[in-house]
Amino acid sequence: MSNAMRTPAGAISVERYQGAVAEGRFRRLWNANAPGYLFLLPWLLGFFGLTLGPALISLYLSFTDFDMLQSPRWVGMANYVRIATADPKFSAAMHVTLTYVVFSVPFKLTFALLVAMALNRGLRGLTFYRAIFYLPSLLGGSVAIAVLWRQLFASDGLVNAALSQFGIEGPSWISHPNYSIYTLVALSVWQFGSPMIIFLAGLRQIPQDMYEAASLDGASKFRQFYKITLPLLTPVIFFNAVVQTIDAFKAFTPAFIISGGTGGPINSTLFYTLYLYQEAFGNFRMGYASALAWILVLIIAVFTAFSFLTSRYWVHYDD
Amino acid sequence: MSLRVSRRNFVAGGATLLSLSALGTSAFAQEQRLRLLWWGSQPRADRTNKVSQLYQTKNAGTSITGEFLGWGDYWPRLATQVAGRNAPDVIQMDYRYIVQYARRGALAPLESYMPAKLNLDDFDKAQIEGGSVDGHLYGVSLGANSAATVLNTTAFKEAGVDLPTQATTWDEFARMGAEITKAGKRKGMFGLADGSGGEPLFENWLRQRGKALYTADGKIGFGVDDASEWYDMWAKFREAGACVPADIQALDKNDIETNTVSLGKSAAGFAHSNQFVAYQAMNKDKLALTNYMRIKADSKGGHYRKPSMFFSVSAQSKAIDLAVDYINFFVKNPEAVLLLDVERGIPESAAMREVVAAKLDENGKVALAYVSGLGDLAGKLPPPPPAGAGEGELMLRNIAEQVGFGQLSPSDGGKQLVTEITQILARG
Repeated sequence: MSNAMRTPAGAISVERYQGAVAEGRFRRLWNANAPGYLFLLPWLLGFFGLTLGPALISLYLSFTDFDMLQSPRWVGMANYVRIATADPKFSAAMHVTLTYVVFSVPFKLTFALLVAMALNRGLRGLTFYRAIFYLPSLLGGSVAIAVLWRQLFASDGLVNAALSQFGIEGPSWISHPNYSIYTLVALSVWQFGSPMIIFLAGLRQIPQDMYEAASLDGASKFRQFYKITLPLLTPVIFFNAVVQTIDAFKAFTPAFIISGGTGGPINSTLFYTLYLYQEAFGNFRMGYASALAWILVLIIAVFTAFSFLTSRYWVHYDD
Repeated sequence: MSLRVSRRNFVAGGATLLSLSALGTSAFAQEQRLRLLWWGSQPRADRTNKVSQLYQTKNAGTSITGEFLGWGDYWPRLATQVAGRNAPDVIQMDYRYIVQYARRGALAPLESYMPAKLNLDDFDKAQIEGGSVDGHLYGVSLGANSAATVLNTTAFKEAGVDLPTQATTWDEFARMGAEITKAGKRKGMFGLADGSGGEPLFENWLRQRGKALYTADGKIGFGVDDASEWYDMWAKFREAGACVPADIQALDKNDIETNTVSLGKSAAGFAHSNQFVAYQAMNKDKLALTNYMRIKADSKGGHYRKPSMFFSVSAQSKAIDLAVDYINFFVKNPEAVLLLDVERGIPESAAMREVVAAKLDENGKVALAYVSGLGDLAGKLPPPPPAGAGEGELMLRNIAEQVGFGQLSPSDGGKQLVTEITQILARG
């Protein structure tokens, strides 16, 4: 103990008193919650060590010139300035990604909803079909599926074999700049399983007596869908749309596999994340790639915020 | 805590303990550990691991662990490991990247180990030079190869077309290609691959014109006219049906599996000589190797013998001496060289070349005969490409595709290529 800690016998400083009280409160809180924190520990470690930490480091790196071999060099806003003013590949990648988002999300959700409604009609062996339809989503991000897709849409693939039955000679869809992005959209639509399961759950929540009442009033099936199903399903549609949009912005694997990492032919499959990856690991521009990543975070945040702001006009919560 | 042991168990246990302790002493002496990293396929990994085992049996107290990845995954992994101060001791290095890694201080200079520990005295001088950057040796060449044309001889024969020779020009070759396409012996097969986006082809063609891809000081080595003429030549080939259309060529991911020859889309394609064994393994027809075509019958060749890959030592390594010894073993030990065969290219050591030549199988002989038979077609090794060369390669291909798909005229393509590459090099 140092001399400074010694106080006259019997006297206790105000600071120490308050400290002791706070400490006691903390201890009581800790004793009550320790098991909870203990259970949370793996997640907390993962969150701070693998998510928040790296994210902050990448924010720092986005203001530097970092080639991974030498120490990062501070360059201020230079990376962001170049993205905004002097990077044609950034706009090319943005264009490809937006095309992908705009086409894949609505088609995928529509398709998922249609299948969910078909499955909702008391089909025999429902669990079996649910599993079958969900399967592509599980395999979705995998390399094997992307390779399979390459085979399907190649010039001598299954798709062209089918077309040739009708006398049509198709191009190599996957490697033609006019079509390649749409084969990737098709791949994404095919992976409709997870929104479909959520739609199915949503459909189950709609009370059957509403439909019965509507039929008694003579409403057609289409009118029932339009006036009952769709409005009551809007919260689920909203949820699916937000999740799928974010996913679509982050798409990487299929384009990486199908173009061999080049984003070709002619940048037609240069997804944003693929360009980011090229800059980081192909061209050793980790700082620039970090800036690209933060721009993507910003764009996704804007899209999500926009969805939430507009949601009040079209999402109906049952109350 | 009490432990009862029968006499027999005691004896057996004692024996085990003794042998364990015997192992233990060697385990404790085993401070010498080496980590290797290389790119390549499973057969290469098998050969490499056998050499490592051989080295361990000859050098008690060393432990060597190796890891391998495909080309595309290799460079991200290596860069991450180097950045994370966790680089492997022995690094397989490519001519394209050696300048970048060496200038950034990631590799250890090796010239001080020569000739006592690293004996390269019967190496081709130019090939040693190829592993040098700024006057220091940063990589030991593991073999020589050269860019080459792969021919499906069966398809040529079926179409009734003679194989090209060392004197064949590009125009003649295109005529052969058009004939094969026209003969239509196989569904969907064209004469030639579309080489307009292939960097080795373009470089070879430039060298025949007395130009280069990059100058020694890292500037662009060709002009708009060169590039425009190049794209124009291939546009004419495409029109004549001599080579595959653009949407077929775009399937090529620049590896053996997706080359148009492997896919059965063309009777001739473009590759590297050390890949021949793998190409033949993938094709039922009989393949052959030949040089790239000449611009004119009397023009000089644009080929060169290129170090197919290097072994470099990490500057972070704690066992540089051991790493150097391992590399020396790899390129100069006859047993090791026999295990390696010509899978990484033709051995650079003259003595080792003889060792290998005596035991080569037919496919290996094709590659060896091709590289050693280049004669006056082979010229000087160009300087290592500057930083940004990887982007330049992608750009050559990107514009070739734009021309191929009719989005850009060959002359505009040429202009754009020169502008873009100049910008890439300026950015570094």
